[in-house]
Amino acid sequence: MSTTPIASARRGTELGLVIMAGVLTGAAYTLASLGKNAEIPPILVPFLIVVLSLLIVAHIATRLLAKGADSTLLPLVALLNGLGYVIIARLDDSLAGLQTTWIFIGIFAFCATLLLVQRATDLARYKWTFFAAGAGLLLLPLVPGLGRSFGGARIWVSLGPINFQPGEFAKIALALFFAGYLAERRELIATGTWKVGPLRLPEPRHLLPIAVAWGFSVVVMVGLKDLGASLLFFALFVVMLWVATERTTYLLLGVALFAGAAFVAWKLIENVQTRVRIWTNPWPEYTEKGYQVIQSWFALSNGGTSGTGLGLGSPNKIPEVKNDFIFAAIGEELGLFGGTAVLIAFVLIIGAGFRTAIRADRPFEKILATGLTTILGLQAFIIIGGVIRLVPLTGITLPFVSYGGSSLVANYVLLALLLRISDSSARRLGEVPDELMIGERMQARRAAREQRRALRPAR
Amino acid sequence: MNTKIQRLAVGLLLCYLALFVQLNVLQVGRQEELTADVRNDRQTIRDFNRPRGPIVTSDGVVVAQSLPVTDPNAEFKFQRDYPAGELFANVTGYYTFNYGSTQVERTQSDVLSGKTDEQELDALTNILGGQDNSGSVVLTMRSDLQQVAKDALGEREGSVVVMDPTTGAILAMYSFPSYDPNLIAKANTFDAGEVLNFLTNFPGKPLLANAYQERYMPGSSFKVITTGIAFENGVTSMERVFPVETEWVPPQTNNPIQNYGGTACGGTMAEVFYRSCNIPFAQMAIELGPDRMVTGTDSWGIGERVPIDLPGAAASSFGEVADFTDALPLLAIGGFGQASDVMVPLHMAMVAAAVANGGQMMEPFVVDRTLYHDGSVLNQNSPQVWKQPISPATAATLTTLMIGVVNQGTGQAMALDNGVQAAAKTGTAQLNATGEPQRSHAWIIGFAPAEAPRYAVAVVIKGTNDEISASTGGKLAGPVAKTVLDHLFATETAPPIAPAPPADAPPTDSP
Repeated sequence: MSTTPIASARRGTELGLVIMAGVLTGAAYTLASLGKNAEIPPILVPFLIVVLSLLIVAHIATRLLAKGADSTLLPLVALLNGLGYVIIARLDDSLAGLQTTWIFIGIFAFCATLLLVQRATDLARYKWTFFAAGAGLLLLPLVPGLGRSFGGARIWVSLGPINFQPGEFAKIALALFFAGYLAERRELIATGTWKVGPLRLPEPRHLLPIAVAWGFSVVVMVGLKDLGASLLFFALFVVMLWVATERTTYLLLGVALFAGAAFVAWKLIENVQTRVRIWTNPWPEYTEKGYQVIQSWFALSNGGTSGTGLGLGSPNKIPEVKNDFIFAAIGEELGLFGGTAVLIAFVLIIGAGFRTAIRADRPFEKILATGLTTILGLQAFIIIGGVIRLVPLTGITLPFVSYGGSSLVANYVLLALLLRISDSSARRLGEVPDELMIGERMQARRAAREQRRALRPAR
Repeated sequence: MNTKIQRLAVGLLLCYLALFVQLNVLQVGRQEELTADVRNDRQTIRDFNRPRGPIVTSDGVVVAQSLPVTDPNAEFKFQRDYPAGELFANVTGYYTFNYGSTQVERTQSDVLSGKTDEQELDALTNILGGQDNSGSVVLTMRSDLQQVAKDALGEREGSVVVMDPTTGAILAMYSFPSYDPNLIAKANTFDAGEVLNFLTNFPGKPLLANAYQERYMPGSSFKVITTGIAFENGVTSMERVFPVETEWVPPQTNNPIQNYGGTACGGTMAEVFYRSCNIPFAQMAIELGPDRMVTGTDSWGIGERVPIDLPGAAASSFGEVADFTDALPLLAIGGFGQASDVMVPLHMAMVAAAVANGGQMMEPFVVDRTLYHDGSVLNQNSPQVWKQPISPATAATLTTLMIGVVNQGTGQAMALDNGVQAAAKTGTAQLNATGEPQRSHAWIIGFAPAEAPRYAVAVVIKGTNDEISASTGGKLAGPVAKTVLDHLFATETAPPIAPAPPADAPPTDSP
């Protein structure tokens, strides 16, 4: 296996940064578990070691499978995941073991994705499969006997002892479908030939799948009452369409449609009305619907500039603090500094994601990288904005930080896809040798063997 | 597509910028406002889980402290404890999780929990010294004197205030009824609420520090103020002789004013003062007129909140010029402490103290100094002059008049042991209208030794029953003041042996 100066420099940087993220995680963990007011019992130290080792495993996976990929994405994710882990262990020490398990499965999924997806463009071929998978996953919670409701949203599926949120995976599947579809037909969609009044629209048959997917997701989201995810899907589709076709009309049309849909939802759905009311003024409903958001404000103000210190705040007063409201816990115990660090980490991830998209050459990779980055960036914005009441609160997890398996595993798969695209560009630009992937080598060897067998003279 | 991706990146960046701005608004801009919200108990939770320093009297007795809780399942790691029970409740106040805090527990909360800027800086430089940087508060008050005042007052509603006239330092300040702050601080939320509810509705308002948060009609003790104003304005002199009268009709009315008990009363300035005739002081008030009387009472600080370093102090009240211009009889009655006059007991002690201090009225204070955790001084209170209502000459004249009260007049009960000369003025404030059963507050204010005053005192016993109301300030309040002052002089040469403070309490000086 050969390497180049650029590849080894990137992986060296990555290793250094991952170790730094690990050291920060370890330091945070130590602070939360030391002293009189320890919140994390010492018995959980082995879990921490497992978590830190897993991050190194992820690094080894990129070293072997995506050596030309961007060097900052994995360390940033490691930092967020490590910080989230410490906060979760501090909030509820009984969750430390479970979250460790989720991180293990997440990193496993990350490695598996890198191994299985050898060329990102291969995925474009399966766009209709992804469409079916995405739609199926979204519908799954509606199946009687499988779906479970928590907190008003029917987004859970129970299979025996395992509960998961299929929506987290659906967003990746649908991003893949859209990237594949748009890469193929973006020019057809962009050059509208169908005149409707002053508007020039693409022919309905090109638009149909998008409209179907879009309308479908809206209906399902309304059915599931999962507003945060609904918002995310809307934005994702509009953004991908806009970037792929380069026609601002679609952006404006999308925004207009979204505004319309939001207005209708606000008129018809009580849940939406509540969210908007709480957003504009939660104080009259302090003891009821407004409690969570106000407590989150109180937590943040308690943290102030430098925070109360890990383990010294009262974040557990916020319901669901380990999931949607984990950012409030970070803001309370690590202060404005810690909260800003998380924001900067996401901004850097977004930057690295879009850099990957710009460096990519093939439309499918470009659109896919844009879509995946938008999912991460927008999801974090929606939930942080909801927690600090910049936008109406819509329940959704903070990627890599919140507690929960589905979210973590899905986001690690997403990360692996981004790294794969980044690696492809590096190969194409000749920064690393475009040698065969492990799987391809195996395939080639098999092909060669069969060829030899075929050429062997028959007895 | 690249330009669109760049624009998308800029758009998302702006979103995150908005997040950052909002985060700053919450954690910096509105931080204090949100932290102070009564529904936000995070600060309190944090404070209840860290040590909080003691409040100590000047003679080294701990009156409030935090004890570590050994039960690992307890809600908080520390428990506030008030070893002196109800003796210092009106000064320390209480410190609770659900019902806030009062008095010194409130005003010095940052010092006690180590949150002043100085202490936090100190904690940073002494990072190896451990986490506990709680401070402590040393009161000006003496626990032995407080106990004597409490015992002397007994179970009669009222207040005793003793202060140093030269500095304004409060040496004792007790009111009956009081309450045991342990009942509130140690109870669970529900029980504490019940206790507070009970105390709020209890007659005599035990939760209020009656000595500085309530005000009562002063009766003749107010004559010190009227006389002071009259001398300052040249309306009277020591040579003036008032005719002996049983009745006098002030302007604008046909109803005559009488002396206490309807007696005939008059004579020299000294005589009318020690006998506490009413008519001469009514006449002086009329001669002064509404303008000069109101300006004069203002100069004594009447109408302003008593500037003690405790929250919620009340303001004494005499009245406005407009109240009297067309109601001169009220001004006349006000001249001897009746009508709309109401005085804060502490303020009356300050009136006596001002006379004792050559006319300078000092700001009263109970916190002598605050200490860092290691016992070094964080902040030392320095005495401040509040008012200068009378000249030193008038102060000397009033002292002479008040000596007369003790030696020949209504305040003979305050003749002190061992020949210490006291100066005083009594008061019996008639509360009831004509025809109602008699109700009167018994007052005495004074200081000693008259020639070089070191202590000023005010005692008020509220007219809650017939027995008290049938008596006078001299007879009821006088002995209380005497007991307190005698104790002070008896302990001057041999200071009381203070109980040893707990090991972790900061060292304190003996008085």
